[in-house]
Amino acid sequence: MLSYDQYLKNFDKCVSSYIPPYNSWTPADEALYKPKDLYRIPIKDAEELQLKSLKFAFNYHYEKNKFYHDFCKEHKVEPNDIKNISDLSKIPLIPDGFYKDYPHGKDFATWLGNIYTGELPKIVIPHTMPNYDQVIDAFSKAGVIVTYSSGTGGRHTFIPRDIRTFHSSEYALAKCVVSMIYPFWEYDSGGYILMPNPRKNFIYAGKALEIYMDAVKNIQVAIDRHINTETIRITMGIGKGIRSKFIRFASKRVSKKMIKDIVSWLEHNKNSTEKISMIGAPFILYFVMKKIQDLGLTFDIGERGAVVTGGGWKIHEQIRMTSSSFRKIVKEVLGIPEKFCLDAYGMVEGNGWMVQCPEGHYLHVPYSYFKPLVLDDEFNQVAYGETGRFAFLDAIAMSYPGFITTGDKVKLLEHCPVCDRPGPVLDPEVERVKGAETRGCAEEMRSMMTRDIGR
Amino acid sequence: MTFLREIKEREYLPNRTQIKLYSAGTFAVIKLFLKSPGDIKKLQQKEPLEKRYIRPPREYEIPKFNNDTKYCKSDEKYLRPTLWCNCRAPEVIALANQLGAYRVSDREFAEAAFHFVKEKMPLEILPLNPVEETFRRGTGTCFHLITAFIALCRAAGIKARYKMFAMNMIQAWVDSTVAVDPVVKKWYDSMGYFMLEGEGEAYVDGKWVVAHVGPKAERQAANGIPITKFGEDSIGVWFFPIPGTIMKMESIPYGLGALVKLAKLIAPGSMERVNVSIQNQIESGRKIIQEAGGLEAYDEMARSKVGPKKPKIEMEGKGEIVFGE
Repeated sequence: MLSYDQYLKNFDKCVSSYIPPYNSWTPADEALYKPKDLYRIPIKDAEELQLKSLKFAFNYHYEKNKFYHDFCKEHKVEPNDIKNISDLSKIPLIPDGFYKDYPHGKDFATWLGNIYTGELPKIVIPHTMPNYDQVIDAFSKAGVIVTYSSGTGGRHTFIPRDIRTFHSSEYALAKCVVSMIYPFWEYDSGGYILMPNPRKNFIYAGKALEIYMDAVKNIQVAIDRHINTETIRITMGIGKGIRSKFIRFASKRVSKKMIKDIVSWLEHNKNSTEKISMIGAPFILYFVMKKIQDLGLTFDIGERGAVVTGGGWKIHEQIRMTSSSFRKIVKEVLGIPEKFCLDAYGMVEGNGWMVQCPEGHYLHVPYSYFKPLVLDDEFNQVAYGETGRFAFLDAIAMSYPGFITTGDKVKLLEHCPVCDRPGPVLDPEVERVKGAETRGCAEEMRSMMTRDIGR
Repeated sequence: MTFLREIKEREYLPNRTQIKLYSAGTFAVIKLFLKSPGDIKKLQQKEPLEKRYIRPPREYEIPKFNNDTKYCKSDEKYLRPTLWCNCRAPEVIALANQLGAYRVSDREFAEAAFHFVKEKMPLEILPLNPVEETFRRGTGTCFHLITAFIALCRAAGIKARYKMFAMNMIQAWVDSTVAVDPVVKKWYDSMGYFMLEGEGEAYVDGKWVVAHVGPKAERQAANGIPITKFGEDSIGVWFFPIPGTIMKMESIPYGLGALVKLAKLIAPGSMERVNVSIQNQIESGRKIIQEAGGLEAYDEMARSKVGPKKPKIEMEGKGEIVFGE
């Protein structure tokens, strides 16, 4: 079997275009690109990397981002206050709703420009009254990738990333997954993205998978079309009228074909020797497996196959599936062992990807550049083992301040109760804090499909 | 001609966003009725006598109007009377003077007007009416109450305007205000856009300061949220506007009154149930405040749960972003 070092070397070579030149590395880059396995760094070393990278990021945003600078002044915190690891909790956290509170039209572009850290490139928006998608396209052409969440409550979270931050985020996701499924990954394999085409879309859960297209040779995409914010709004059931009905009808047709295509792909690969992987929204795979069961089929892909999911566990309006019951169905229908069926937890505002370990399926935190925090009802930090609101300090977000509280409820443990990886973990079942909106990128996709297929 | 100019200048005509919202709302209501005509009966059905809504007594006295009382006579934008908002009505002038018009600073007056309307005038869902009638009754929808605040400010010579938007609500509000009646819930689900909300804005110390006068402290307590102060926006705490629907206007536009009137005509039962629910909220909020140890103690506790304030963005134009090239 390939040694882990060689395995990661092969991977880094494959995705070398995502890694900045060594001589330009910042402490944040060092914390991400240098460790061979982000989940197996000895605590002391990881804390050193974490402190250096977060101090660097905090100082950078404090100096180069006006709104965050003012916010820090209001909280009476400045870079000199951050001296050791315990001081990191002094870094002012931005409430999760902040990146949802945006205007529209020209002002939306200006708002993006105002939350952006550092110097903006020249951005030409060829419209006088642009909509969200026109602004996103114009920023993208100028090298600023604006990605967004599903926006279940009718509001997306928009985050602008410069190319370097975006590549770091993608690399982090891929490295975290590749480490966890060692020795599964190899370039000469097949893959299916259970999300919209990352090269045509800006929904974050899909967009972050662009690196998968470079890390795996034969890639198929479930939804190979451009989906804009308006289409998402309509498929989420927010839009009304004849046009909305037409879009929902069209998406029903497309969804049926999509499921059929994925089933055909699995059939085609069932006797091949090539490894295959599927990454994306769990509910798409759930519908695929349901279809396979309806056809009276099962597959025995075994250790040749891997599944990585992300984006939420709502299957229908009222049905919520746990990741453990999902793994059992995957084993039963596709024959893929539970150790190669992992869930990843992340969000559009962050670049830290918590991926489940194959042994216990706890969500491991990449703690060299990403500090997880759990807050009680009064937003005070609580100890390991307690449940509360998830917040984080993210060192690799350079184009926006990544010090954020979320609307998710988690339980953070100091170590994994099952495997020997040294860093902190989250309990696998993540919920929403009461009163917060439900959301998740898979939620948006679920809505698009359940309205059409499931009913 | 003067009349037409007045309509245009004072923004009585609904703008594009409003027309879209009104049409969507009207279409959805018609659709709802065509789909389930039986609902009309349900909408009109009243509750048994013991559960009927009884309007609470007015919480203040209206001072006697004196012809010599000072008030603003300017015809300037945001100072003049507009639709439903006659800031020169005797009741308005008398109350404005009682609250300190022309004797205290603009900020002090606006704050006094804010507290008066917010805490002494409970919410009641009913058709729009002239502002003097609202003061005589002592209750009203958020638009009645915003109008009351605006009228007081204008009478005191402080510019004031409306800020309207269609919104997504927080769950606590949905549970108590919308979900209380299944038909209202259906409306909510099927339309999304028809519920316009609003705030007032007063021009104080060189800037527009927001005044969210709609909810009494007790109602906010019943929903577990902090008690809004003058200058604190409901947006982001209480309301989450649908992007692109925030409108700032001198007047309530034509059509809004008719829509509420229509709703009253076809759904008097539903409207009454919402009013009963509001009264229940006020009652339960009163207990919550008492148990918390008073208004300030409750507010402090609720604020600690809301978490840190959001950073403020002062929108600076960015030279790097070029439009229309």
